[in-house]
Order: sequence, then structure tokens, then C-alpha cells
Amino acid sequence: MSTPATRTVTDQASNEVVFDGISKAFGPTTVLQNMDLRIGAGELITVLGPSGCGKTTALRILAGFEKPTTGRVLVGGKDITSVTPNRRGIGMVFQAYSLFPNMSVQDNVEYGLRVRKIAAEKRRKTATDMLEMCGLGQFAPRFPHQLSGGQQQRVALARALATQPEVLLLDEPLSALDAIVRVQIREEIRRLQQQLGITTMFVTHDQEEALAIANRVAVLNSGVIEQIDKPREVYQHPSTEFVARFVGSVTEVGVPADYRGGELPVQAPAKDLDTLFVRPEDITLIPDEDGTCTVVSQIYTGERTVVNTTTAVEGLEVTSSVSAAEAADLTPGTRVTPHVMSDAALRVFAHEVRERVAP
Amino acid sequence: MGAVTTEAEKSGQQTSGPGIAVRTSRWLPVIAVALYVTIPVLCSIYYAVFPGGNFSLAAYSVITEDASLAAAASRTFLITGLTIVVLVATLVPALVAVHLWAPKLRPILEILCTLPLVVPPIAIAAGVIALLRWGAQQGRGSVPSQISQFLQNPDLPLILVGTYVVLCLPFTFRSIDAGLRTIPLKAMVEGSAILGSSIWGTIWRVVIPNIRGSMLFSVFFTTALCFGEFSIAATLGQQTIPVWLYDVSSNNFRASIAIAVLLNLATWALLFIATLSADRFSPAGRAARAEHSLQKQKAAAS
Repeated sequence: MSTPATRTVTDQASNEVVFDGISKAFGPTTVLQNMDLRIGAGELITVLGPSGCGKTTALRILAGFEKPTTGRVLVGGKDITSVTPNRRGIGMVFQAYSLFPNMSVQDNVEYGLRVRKIAAEKRRKTATDMLEMCGLGQFAPRFPHQLSGGQQQRVALARALATQPEVLLLDEPLSALDAIVRVQIREEIRRLQQQLGITTMFVTHDQEEALAIANRVAVLNSGVIEQIDKPREVYQHPSTEFVARFVGSVTEVGVPADYRGGELPVQAPAKDLDTLFVRPEDITLIPDEDGTCTVVSQIYTGERTVVNTTTAVEGLEVTSSVSAAEAADLTPGTRVTPHVMSDAALRVFAHEVRERVAP
Repeated sequence: MGAVTTEAEKSGQQTSGPGIAVRTSRWLPVIAVALYVTIPVLCSIYYAVFPGGNFSLAAYSVITEDASLAAAASRTFLITGLTIVVLVATLVPALVAVHLWAPKLRPILEILCTLPLVVPPIAIAAGVIALLRWGAQQGRGSVPSQISQFLQNPDLPLILVGTYVVLCLPFTFRSIDAGLRTIPLKAMVEGSAILGSSIWGTIWRVVIPNIRGSMLFSVFFTTALCFGEFSIAATLGQQTIPVWLYDVSSNNFRASIAIAVLLNLATWALLFIATLSADRFSPAGRAARAEHSLQKQKAAAS
């Protein structure tokens, strides 16, 4: 048994995960519709979507806790659809940590090895190495309830990695933690994942988290993958309206077919207009006494300030993100004219028949 | 003036007087219960070891003299052990399965397990006897007759194990059911499964240790029932300790009381040990020790 850090490239080649036409229905409700997803060996894919979109179901199908209604799941080319969870050799980290309260941290991490009947000395060493790697060396004799949430989730990670799984699943592992710890553990997961070259599926509803950690992001909506691409692409070039709205914030306006940037016309999306989805950082607000928008609020977020404006059109708000210096001129009440400086995130042409939320 | 002083004194007494009264009266029920429990035991002890007013352990000579006592005792222990094993091995997996995969079946299981509570033990005994007799009447050497004999084997009356398991069900069901409700069962089982454990391994290594309180209650309830059950064992003609005590009391009353006292004290001791060990092996207890050893290490390092 090689130590995790020296896992060879040939091992990785067999770790590709494929969802092949997976559908899942619970009674009359369809949760996943004919989902195809390929996770390359050693790749980290985040599955992002609102609650109820089927992302956790997809993860649980890969873990073996749910059986797909149709379709196959393959790991390293092998069909594992009918293999029980305990024979899949997959590691998993749960949202609620799910450590065994009756066991010490050391015993928790050793558990998977004990089940595999690894000799006591060997498993103690592996567990100790794992705990060191996750920065938990001194906590080995403690019990789960003596640790903070972040420490418990680190133990859960060490426990999942101790058996050297081919695939690692993370089910919203950070959503029970506070902001700072969340970022720390996120980085840690990424570091370990890259170091071990382990194929990883990370499910989350937090778009910032999804973009920060992933090789590729799969955006899931109502059981269908809307887009799967690199984080930058998903953010800058969303392929559907849902993705544009769900990942990052966006201003939606209706523009004439010949609009090519410049001053943004303040019109609600309508049938004979193209709909433009613009990111806040692509909108510049220029103070103007005859401006079409009025600043209503500023939200200070550190590096940038988010400026919200209202318009004469009901329901249409233009949101921009500006530097602190620019924000000084944009106090609430100021009238401004919005300009779009670069390409919009997404343009939906009038002739394209799409379901629109805005009237 | 005098009247006023009296008033003040009275009110002073009222503030402190009822306080003491309440404090002492709080102990009254405790004392009453303690007396209710201990007086019969103390009387039995006195009767057993002070025959005619002088201390003597003569009554206990029956332990070495009467071989049937040792046989009855070992038979009772064996029955108790088997009853506990059968009960735990059937009830815990059944309840785990119902909690995990078939919550709709839980009420049905509950009704089934509670049924023995509404059937008097003597009725159960009568039913069991009727069944055994029917088996025996099927003719010498026939299968039902052999089964009937096998179940009534006087060295190991399996029929009593089966009956005691049924009698314990209503109480142990409730205890284990409540225990399983207090733990995140699904999360534990899934967490254990993905690490490679089968459901049996999970029950043994994770579920049972986490419902320790319910398990201990079940074990002790079962022990108490098996040690004390008389009517069914007597009706089926099996020599367990209670039946032996009853038989002996007709010719050596003092000996039967002496052994009953011994049994009583042994059960108490068992209970005491269990409470202590439950404390020691509880997560809190072990956590405290882990913390203690950490402090020691730190102290040694600095």
C-alpha cells in the first residue's frame, strides 16, 4: 500500500466517473432527467444549484444510497450501478459531519481501515498520517463533541481519505460552518484533492464556493445540467438565463437588436427586444442630472462597493459594482446614466423563444 | 406594644419556620420509600442469619449441601444469557431496519411487541403447555414430539428462553426504540456504509455503542425478569431458582429466605456495577479521561 501522497498517475487514469443517462424519480416527482456528466480522473467538479435541483440526489446515486431509475454510473470504466455503497470504495464527507460520537478522533479515522481488516499497527500509522495532513495531530485522543465544527469536518475529511478512495464526494460540507472557517477548509480540501489527485464531486448551493474551488462547475436546475464549464466561463459566459441569474448577480434589460454597447437603454425585457444580462462590474454609472437611474443604496463589500439604482420602469433595477473612489460620487439620490463598457454576460435574441420571468 | 412584638416574632418565625419544615418534609417520601424497600429485606436478612437471636450462617450450608440449587442456578444463568442474546440479536436489527427503511411498519411492530403486556403470563404458560402437549401427543419419535422434548430439555429449557424473550419485548422494544430516536441513525449508517462496513458491522460497532443506555436497560430488565419469573417456569415444571426457592420453602423455609436474600443482594450488586461501568464507558466519561491524559502530556512536555 503506497502512501496517499505518492499515488501514481496510472492509478488516476482509472478514476474517471461517468453518469450515463441518469434519471431519478421519487414517485411522481422527477428529480434528475437523463443526466450525463463526466468527471475526469483527478478532476474536481462542483455541482451547483438551488435547493431541490437534484444535486444531492446525483451525489447520493454516485455514493450508492439511491438507485437511479434509468441510466448507469461508471467509475474507471466499471459499471457500479448495482454495487452497494460499502463495496464502492468511495470516500464521502457529509454536511452534518456524521462522525461516530462513541469513538475518538483516532478511532473515527481508523474505522474504514478496521472494516477492511488492516493490521492495527498499520492503520494507526495511516490514521496518524492523515490527521497530521489535516492539521489535527494533537486532537487524536479527543472525542467529536470536544471539537469545533471546523475541526469535526476536518476529521470527517481525514476519515474519508484514510481508505485511499478512488473518488471523493462532498455533500455541502461547508454550509454548517462560519465564513472564515469555510474558506480555510475550502482551501484545505482543494490542496488535499490536488495533492492526492483524487476525482472529486463537490455539491454546493453557494456559487462563490463553487467557482473558487472547481476545475469545472456544473450548474443544475430542475434535474437538468444547464451548463458545465470552467468557473470563469460559467460566470462570464453563462449559456442560459438560469445560469446568468443563479451564478453571480445580473441586471436584465431589453435592448434593440442593433444595440452594441454604450449607454444602456432603460427598458424592461420585452418580446420584440433582445434581452441583455449584464454583470455589475460591466456597468459604469456616470452621474448625470438627466440620468435614467437614481441611486438608492450602496453596499460596502470591502474591495468593491455595490451600488443599487432604481429606474422609471417598475421592477427594473440596475446594479453596478464600483471602486471605493467612484462610490464617493454615487451617494443615494444621485441621478446617473448606466453605460455598458464591455461585452454583456449573455444576450438572448428576440427571435429565440425562451421562457422569461420578467414581464 | 407587646402585641406588636408578638406579631414581629410570629412573622420572623413564619419566614424561617416553614423553610425548615419544607426542607424536612421533602425527605419524607424518600424516607418512606427507603423504609418500604429496606424493611422487608432487613427482616429477611435478620431471619436468615439470626436464627433464635444468635448470628449463624447455617442456613447457607444449603449451597454446598443441596446439589439441586447449583443446578437451578446455572440453569437460570444460562437461560438469562440466552434470553439476552436472542432478544438483542432479533430486536435491534429489526428496529434499525424499521427505522431506516420501513417507518410505516413501526406501529405494526410496536403493536406486536406490546401484545404480551395484555396477555397474562399464566395464559401464555397455558398456551405453551397446550402446544407442547399437542407435540408430545403426535406419537413417540414423531417430529413434533421430538421438537416438544427438545424444547423442554430440563438441562436447557429453550421453551423458557423463547417465552421470556416474548415477555421482555414490550419493555425492551420501547427502550431501544426511544434510544434509536435520539441518535442520527440514518447519517451514522450511511457514514459507516460508505467507509465499507456492512449493516451488521454498523449495528455492532456504531449503533449499539450509541444506544448504550437502552441496551443496559434491556439487559437488566431481562436479567431481573429471568431471575424472578416463577409462574411460567413452575407451570412448565422447570427447575429455575424461583421454582427451587418455592420447593425448598416447604421443608427448609429459612434456607429459601437465605438464598432469596443472597439473590437480591447479587442483583443489586450487578445493577451497581452496571451503573458504574455505564458511566465509565459513556462518551462523556471517556472524553474526560482523554482530556485528562492530554493535560498530562502537556504538563510532561512543558
